[in-house]
Formats: sequence, C-alpha cells, structure tokens
Amino acid sequence: MMEKKSRGQTQLAPENFLSAEHIQEIQQYGLDDQRRGFLRQSFLSAVGFSSVAHAQSQSEGEPAILEKQIWQTTLGNPVAKNPYGMPSIFEKNLIRRESPGLTRVSEASVAFTPLQGLFGIITPNGLHFERHHQGWVDVDPERHRLMVHGLVKNARVFTMNDLMRLPSTSRIHFIECGANTMFEWANVAVPTVQYTHGMLSCCEFTGVPLGVLLEECGADLKKGKYLLAEGGDGSGLTRTINLSEVLHEAIVAWGMNGEMLRPENGFPLRLVVPGVQGVSWVKWLRRLEVGDMPYASKDEAVHYSDLMPDGRTRQYTSIQECKSVITTPSGGQRLLEKGFYNISGLAWSGRGKIKRVDVSVDGGQNWQTARLETPVLSKALTRFHLDWVWNGAPAILQSRAIDQTGYVQPTIHMLRAVRGTRSIYHNNAVQSWRIAANGEVSNVQVE
Amino acid sequence: MSKWSNHCVAVMPLVFGFFLSTVLFTGAIAANHHRPKHPGIGRDATPAEVRAWDIDVRPDFKGLPIGTGSVAQGQLVWEGKCESCHGTFGESNAVFTPIIGGTTQQDIVRGRVAGLRDEKNQRTTLMRVATVSTLWDFIHRAMPWKAPRSLSVDETYAVLAFLLNLADIVPSDFVLSNINISEVQEKMPNRNGMTLQHGLWSVSGKPDVNNVACMQNCPTSARITSFLPDKVRNANGNLLNQHRTYGPYQGVDTSKAPLPNLPSNDQDPKILDTLETVKQ
Repeated sequence: MMEKKSRGQTQLAPENFLSAEHIQEIQQYGLDDQRRGFLRQSFLSAVGFSSVAHAQSQSEGEPAILEKQIWQTTLGNPVAKNPYGMPSIFEKNLIRRESPGLTRVSEASVAFTPLQGLFGIITPNGLHFERHHQGWVDVDPERHRLMVHGLVKNARVFTMNDLMRLPSTSRIHFIECGANTMFEWANVAVPTVQYTHGMLSCCEFTGVPLGVLLEECGADLKKGKYLLAEGGDGSGLTRTINLSEVLHEAIVAWGMNGEMLRPENGFPLRLVVPGVQGVSWVKWLRRLEVGDMPYASKDEAVHYSDLMPDGRTRQYTSIQECKSVITTPSGGQRLLEKGFYNISGLAWSGRGKIKRVDVSVDGGQNWQTARLETPVLSKALTRFHLDWVWNGAPAILQSRAIDQTGYVQPTIHMLRAVRGTRSIYHNNAVQSWRIAANGEVSNVQVE
Repeated sequence: MSKWSNHCVAVMPLVFGFFLSTVLFTGAIAANHHRPKHPGIGRDATPAEVRAWDIDVRPDFKGLPIGTGSVAQGQLVWEGKCESCHGTFGESNAVFTPIIGGTTQQDIVRGRVAGLRDEKNQRTTLMRVATVSTLWDFIHRAMPWKAPRSLSVDETYAVLAFLLNLADIVPSDFVLSNINISEVQEKMPNRNGMTLQHGLWSVSGKPDVNNVACMQNCPTSARITSFLPDKVRNANGNLLNQHRTYGPYQGVDTSKAPLPNLPSNDQDPKILDTLETVKQ
C-alpha cells in the first residue's frame, strides 16, 4: 500500500538490499571474501526480485535507471565524517601488496603499488610503494635533525623548522626501485603489473634544493664529488650520491603530493634524486657528508650492484634507463567482451623526457605510435594511450618507449645477451601481455 | 709487547691529529666562518655531535674507530646475538641470504670469486663484497637485526673477525684491529671483482644496448618463450580480489580453472559488424 509522505521526509529505499549493520561492517573492515559473497548474494536476490517486477517492461530500460537507488533516496553522510578522507569501499581491492616468497621478513621487504588500477601519472600517497631495509619508523619531527658535514666550511645542523623556512621547490618525479621487474630476468614469474612493475611511483615532491643546503654550509664541490646520504632509522641506510650528476636536481624533501611525506616514505625528510634508483632517495634523512670518494656501503657493495655473467660486479649502478609498461589491459585482468578498449600505460626515463611510445598488439611485429598525455615531464612518469578494438582473437600487447636521448627501450633478450639472467637490477625490458581468446590477460615473454 | 708498540705508533698520531684538528677547527670559526646565505637558519654542529653521527667507514678506512676483537670473542657475540638468524656458521638461508660460503683459497689469492660466474650458485655476502670496510660499517651501524647500534666497537671487530675466520680468510687465533684490517683487505676473496665501467653511474653514460624502433613487419616471430602455467595462477592470491570489481579491467578468478571461451560471445550483432570492419 502506498502511503503519501510529507515533503522532505526521508525514507529507506525499497531496493535497499544491504542492512545498515552490513554497510557499517564493510566500511569498517572492507570487502573480504565472506562479505563480498554476502554482498553478491544479497544483490542477486534484490535483482532477482526486481527482475520479476520488470520482466514485462524490459524494453523500458534497466533498473539502475528506472529504479531509485539508496544513495538517491536517503540522507547522505555529514561533512568530516572521515576527517582524513579514504577511498570508496568499492576500491578496497587496490592496495599495496607483498609478493609471496620474495623475502622471509616483512621488515626487509617490498609492498608493490597497484599500477593496474591507477590513472594519470600521480601515485596516491597511500599507494606509494614501500621498500624498507629494517622496518619503517615514525620519526618525531621535533626531534629530527639533519647534519651536513664533511668537506664543508661549517658543519651545520638543521631542524625541520629551519629546513621548512628555506626557499622550497615542488617537482614531479618518478621513483623506481633498482630491483623493479627483478623477477623477470630469467623467465616470467609473477602474474600482474603490480608485481612486475609496482616498485614504481610518481609524486610531486616539495623541499629545499640540495644545492641550497650545501651552499649554506660552504661545501667544497671541487674536491667533494660525492655525497653520503644516511637515514635516521635502525638500518641507517647509506648511499653514495654522484654529486656532479644530480646536484642541480636533487631535493631534500618533506612534502609529497601536497602533504608531509608518509612515515613509510621517510617522514619527515627524504632525499629526492631524480632519475636515480629509489634506494638512493634515502628516507628519514639525518646526515649528508660531502666526501672525495664513494663509500661502498652495504647497499652498494653487496646489494644494488649488478652481477655480470663474467662474475664481475658493476658497482654504483644508479640511473634508471628508459622503460614503459601497459597497465591496462595487463596481467590478471580479463576483457569481458570484444569491442573498443583504451590501451593505457606508463613510460619514464632516468635520462630525461619521454619522446615517444609505440604499442604493438601482435607481439612486436607491427607497432603504432601511442598518444602521450600531458604533462610530459623530465624524469617523471608519462601516461600514454592507444585506441584499440579487440576482435576476440588472441593478441600480445607490448609498449616500447623512446626517451629524449633517442634510446629505445630494449627487449629482454637484448638485455640478457649482455647481462645474463641473474643481475637482478635494472631490468627495463619491453613487457608483453597475452590476451587469450577467453579474455584473460597474462604475463608472457616472446622472442 | 711488539703488538702494543704497534698500537702506540699508530694510535698516537691519530689522537694527536684529532686534538690538533679540533683546535684548528675552533680557531677557524672565528677567523674564516662561512657566511650562510639565509640568516637565522641552522647552526654549527659541535665536534661532539659530528663524532656521534659520523659513523661511516670508507674503503680507505677513514672513520674506522680504534679497537680490537678476536675470533674467539666474536664467536661468543655471534652465539648470543647473531646465530638465531644467520646460523651457526653464517651459512643459514632461513631468514636472510647466507653470509658465508662459496669462496675458495684460490679466490683469496686471485681476489676474484670464481663461483660468481655460475648463475646457478647461491650468492653469499662474502662472495660478493669487495671491501672489508663495508662489513665493519654495516655490522656496527645496523646489527643485530632487532637491536641495531647495540654492538660496541670491540664487539664489532670481534664479530667481523669470527666471520672472516669462517670464510677462511684469517686463522682461528686472529685478533682483528684497526691496525691490521688493511692487511685483511688484501685477502678479501672478491676484492678485484668490482667495476665502475658501465653506463649507469652517469646520466650521460652509454647504455649497454639500444633497440631499433621498427614499425612494420619487424624481425620477431612473436613466439611465446615463457608463461605462467595454469597450476600457479593463484600463487599470488586470487587476482579477482586485486582488481576493480567493476569497469573494463576486472580481475581473473584464479581460484578457478580458465574459462573455455569469452563469456559474452553472443554479442550485439552491431558490435560484431564493427569488428568485421576493423578486421578488414
């Protein structure tokens, strides 16, 4: 029986298939398999019910339009219900994840960025990849200090107050771990772009140019060709910075996408070294020492150095060479039907800007030049797109980037011919995704 | 006695040198203080503060503190603080990659670890590291795992002496010190194994390879050489739950076998017409 409601009065939508308790539960705990199952069941029964009602009038349109939805017919939430905003509950699947079996201790591990679900070039702060060597810490900014010493006229100490008063700059740069795509040197090993390429992020970083700080201390840059950067956490991670190469671009940063760095990314201070592998972007930065020789720290003498087939190790390998990857469609996804798709992906180079990206849908036999989305920035991610109509036949998708130096992204076979299959770091090979006739996309290598 | 006098000879200039440089440094502030460009920002570090934080040890041993430690002392520290992760002989692969193993007397003579040429070999720390300073620096700065920076200088020498003995680089009665560590460097198995001859240290470095941007009928068979077998499709968890549940790029339900064909094969004929046009 329909009852006339007075104007402005709210009522529960008749098609509301989730109880208030369930909505709250999902908001609190997210969508795990159990709750997802319930959701699906409830939804199906709701749809089942309505489909009876609409069976006779199917041609009139679909229920999503013809029926009132709960969010249209109820009072919404108040402002500041979530004082720090969070993604929709429907986005719960897009989170950082570890890759099973990568390391045996999660304090010295990696959580990969879900590139398969991101748009544009900026990585949301909560999804920036994590790599720690001895766990992450939340450093008290009032007690944090940065010391600059070594070949300087005056060894100086700066508080966060000091640093944040200095003239600052904000720039967008990619950060990629030198070990990104490490699993794939010998063969295909992981299923999705999150695990093949997810040690990659791109943010707007804000901080004081390194050069300003060094000048402030009277650094002797003629003798002092190297900079040791040290973290203030338990690992006290240290890396040698090739000063003459990066001085004009490096930033001592506190800001990341408009807010302070996240603790997992070095709050309150990290070094930003554009184009150079992530390990050199020292987190929880406490010390900068100007010196006249490289320091051969653990992470440049045992790790983050590239073992060659002749048994020699390339030390201080730092620059991230030009690379690209298609993020949609990508491994672990499925195309639901034939027809139009926007092939989209990311390209970047530690040597400057991306000049061009080509895409192949036949395993590298024929290529088309993709559309680059602006802005195209030096040492930042660049988003590319290609219109594509899938005819339902098996396909192999690849992207191939070219940077401003004219360098063309290599195939895995070209890299293997020089570096073998166990050099771990700096795999910037073309990635291949196979689309099967059933719509499933999977990680493959081709020759 | 001879050992003590060795110490005296080496230590005295160091102590004296430090004292002298402190005096000079303090004098220099008054006479030749660099004027910062931004007044009121930052302050000079005190010598004690620099000493407290300047803990790195370079390959030329700059920064190495004075101290000693024997293999026997190192074994005691090892058993108490290191063994549970790294194994009795530094060989364990259970928590971290092994520290010890894979080096030979011939490697120690040559300064190149032959085992690094075989891609099948597990690589240990002692196989890879070229500089003994690296080990001292890292043990002192970051170990033990859950209590970094809790080892004294002498304990650090001792643990390092113990490891060097496990790797057959020094004898079991060896006492490692700041004096003789440079002699140990001459025996490091991979001391000649590093190179800076590569294109990844400099922005203008020469790449190893450079592809050709072929556009049509490129020389590739597009033959698949590597793929993930269906039986491991769920190894990284169900991929259905790692993608959006809506939109064009949803995840595959990897808890189930692959579908035989595209679920929506019976499509709107208009789309199929378009597809035919595209094919032609």
